[in-house]
Amino acid sequence: MAFLQAVLDGLMIGGVYAVISIGLTLVFGVMGIINFAQAEFLMLGMFIAYFAWQFLGLDPLIGSVLSFAIIFGVGVLVQMTLIQRVLHAPPVAQIFVTVGLLIVIENLALIAFGSDFRSVSTPYQTSALRLGPLFLSVPYLAAFLMSLLSGCALWLFTNKTWYGRAMRATAQDPMAAHLMGIDADRMRQIAFGLGVGLTAFGGAVILPYFTVQPTVGQQFVVLMFTAVVLGGLGSVAGAVVGGLAVGVIQSVSTLFFPIQLQNLILFIVFITVLALRPTGLLGAAR
Amino acid sequence: MRLLPAGIAVLAAAVLPLFLDPLGYPIRVLTLALLFAALGQAWNIVGGLANQISLGHAAFFGLGAYTSTLLLINFGISPWIGMIAGAALAAVAALLLSFPTMRLRGHYFALATLAFAEVLRVIATSWSEVTGGPVGLSVPFSPDSFLLLQFRSTLPYYYIMLGALVLISGVFLLIRESALGYRLRAVKENVDAAEVIGVDTTRVKIIASVVSAALTAILGTLYAQFTYFFDPDAVFGIVPISIRAAMVAILGGAGTVVGPIIGAFFIIPVEEFANSYLSSRTAGLSQLAFGLALIAVILIQPRGIIVLIKEGAARFRKGSEA
Amino acid sequence: MSHPILEMRQISKHFGGLQALEDVSFDVAPREIVGLIGPNGAGKSTLFNTLVGLHKPTAGTVRLQGEEITGLKPHKVAERGMTKTFQNVALFSETSVFDNVLIGALLRNTVADARRRAEMCLERVGLGAVARKMASDLSFPERARVEVARGLATQPKVLLLDEVMAALNRVEMEEIMALIRSLREDGLTVVVVEHHMHAIMSLCERIIVLNFGRKIAEGSPEEIARNPEVVRAYLGREYA
Repeated sequence: MAFLQAVLDGLMIGGVYAVISIGLTLVFGVMGIINFAQAEFLMLGMFIAYFAWQFLGLDPLIGSVLSFAIIFGVGVLVQMTLIQRVLHAPPVAQIFVTVGLLIVIENLALIAFGSDFRSVSTPYQTSALRLGPLFLSVPYLAAFLMSLLSGCALWLFTNKTWYGRAMRATAQDPMAAHLMGIDADRMRQIAFGLGVGLTAFGGAVILPYFTVQPTVGQQFVVLMFTAVVLGGLGSVAGAVVGGLAVGVIQSVSTLFFPIQLQNLILFIVFITVLALRPTGLLGAAR
Repeated sequence: MRLLPAGIAVLAAAVLPLFLDPLGYPIRVLTLALLFAALGQAWNIVGGLANQISLGHAAFFGLGAYTSTLLLINFGISPWIGMIAGAALAAVAALLLSFPTMRLRGHYFALATLAFAEVLRVIATSWSEVTGGPVGLSVPFSPDSFLLLQFRSTLPYYYIMLGALVLISGVFLLIRESALGYRLRAVKENVDAAEVIGVDTTRVKIIASVVSAALTAILGTLYAQFTYFFDPDAVFGIVPISIRAAMVAILGGAGTVVGPIIGAFFIIPVEEFANSYLSSRTAGLSQLAFGLALIAVILIQPRGIIVLIKEGAARFRKGSEA
Repeated sequence: MSHPILEMRQISKHFGGLQALEDVSFDVAPREIVGLIGPNGAGKSTLFNTLVGLHKPTAGTVRLQGEEITGLKPHKVAERGMTKTFQNVALFSETSVFDNVLIGALLRNTVADARRRAEMCLERVGLGAVARKMASDLSFPERARVEVARGLATQPKVLLLDEVMAALNRVEMEEIMALIRSLREDGLTVVVVEHHMHAIMSLCERIIVLNFGRKIAEGSPEEIARNPEVVRAYLGREYA
């Protein structure tokens, strides 16, 4: 019984991990770089939703849309000014541009917001629904549903709109896309913007049960990367599977192992997948 | 690497602190700078020579700090011995980590190293019974003792850190000028070509990795003994240690022996200055500046400040000849 | 052939769905100069890669000097005495010409001895003068020759040359051919992949022809030139 509860909780939270991870995998899929600063955009998304709650009285679930929109714009700017320049540079340059970005964003936040922990309070924060013998925490469920919604929106975008398909084309074969008249640079900007925007969105929807401060991103780093690697870097479906898997693994392992081993397990999963099947369970070869 | 200027520099560095107040702030800053220069140099062995971009050196640093301190606290073992134990543990960790990461390149490798250090950090934070948890560990206080590597004055620490820097730089040069160094260069440029002409690329990468890890752990012990107190975030942290080690080397010039020294003596004094004279909020300013500097260096002159200095000097010499 | 220096039996290599090599078998005698030809995509480079261990064959065995080397890593194969050059030249470009060759010599020498050997090998290929230059500063033909020197530095018994004569003019080609013949005089066995038919015909005692990953012919230059399958492979049905 406790097992089922853990699985349920894990799936709920895994849904959010999925959204957060989709952002990361999208960036890799289209540009071939791992954005080490990804978790910082999550933090920014959380802060935007927090301030929207504090000053506009918006529930974070609605504020999340605002987070998405703003960070999308920021992402496009970042891509244009920084990422674009190192697309053809050696990996060391690509790695440290995003690492530098990590430092810049985290410290900008520290300077602007200070290091205090902040949290929101929503009317449903402590409510839970009953599902037979199991409990479904309402904030978890709300976050999960929002994630589902955004996942569907993303699917619609990438499959049903011209921009989405153009983006996938650019990811698969930049030269061919270019020859078809697709502005690859624009597509990459959109992809990066979407990528960080989605992660920011994910951060916002978990605000009801999380506290935010400028270094909160660090907690999600290994998680996010494990989910993405598990599902396959570059595969959106993989990020979903990976996110859910990480959520469940994390949740279930609390039943059997002390908390310190939980992360070790995650790491073992991570390193095993990287070593044996770097393309992940669902990933496209790259 | 010219011996005379290097010798003069070391001599100057050895004499300098005699003019400073041994309990004062400036010598403390210099000592920290020496430590981080040494850390950057250790990273340089894998990042600069072998082009294995590690974002997880904090793993070895923290292993060194925790091993020696726990041995001291629980068994009264001298940190000099604890240092060796820490280095051995880190070497084993590096060796074990090599196997799954051997075929990983670039981004993937960096990611794996980052994840490893993060996991150790989380374990250290949660395994309170052993590691003291998020509160951290304090080195038990004792009066001045060489055996216990504890001094009230900063001066002995300064010389120890200087010694560490000279030692690690020496190892760096030794490797670079040896057969191993040539092979690492080959691996850095083209792994397949290197293999085909007889370079055991796996073995070569592992050796560099293990040496770097052991040296990094030693620095972790020295750090613990110098600061008397540390917590998981300070010694296993991505930003304070892993990124710092890489940044110091890259800013100064990865792959060169003076690079990490330049990088550290640029970053640490500025940062310490900011920490002490600015409020904690605006202290983030110095970090921000470093982040921006890192990005700027990558975009403008990825080979580091050393190249800018050399070019500037060359232009100066040309100008004075005109 | 009594004691072939290099034997391959039923070498096959798949890449996912692609069959790059299928059931390739042949022997090379010591001090032979053997040509390996075939249309583009026939699998010649893949065969070389498989022989030196860059790829593991899906099936088949390779023996060098009687000992099995199938599946050994390239550095072990180099240790046993076989190395290759790369089709598009894979020099360490941020390194000097001299150091490139030196690294090859390190396989069997200390650094000091390796320096001497590197000098010798560069002289051998006629590039002693450019030793101190950066590899990336050389012309393509010069770089191809540096790769040969680098391979020689490993003191191999068998040298696999992958299109070292690409982009060469007639004079340069004659020089390389003279070099290859002199290497054979010194005891080396050489397998050459080339597209210049003239060079292959005059240089090689025996020629192996691949097409679509299979060996379609084997024989002396005259036999190959008259072989209708070979003509068909290169020129299409109409000319057979």
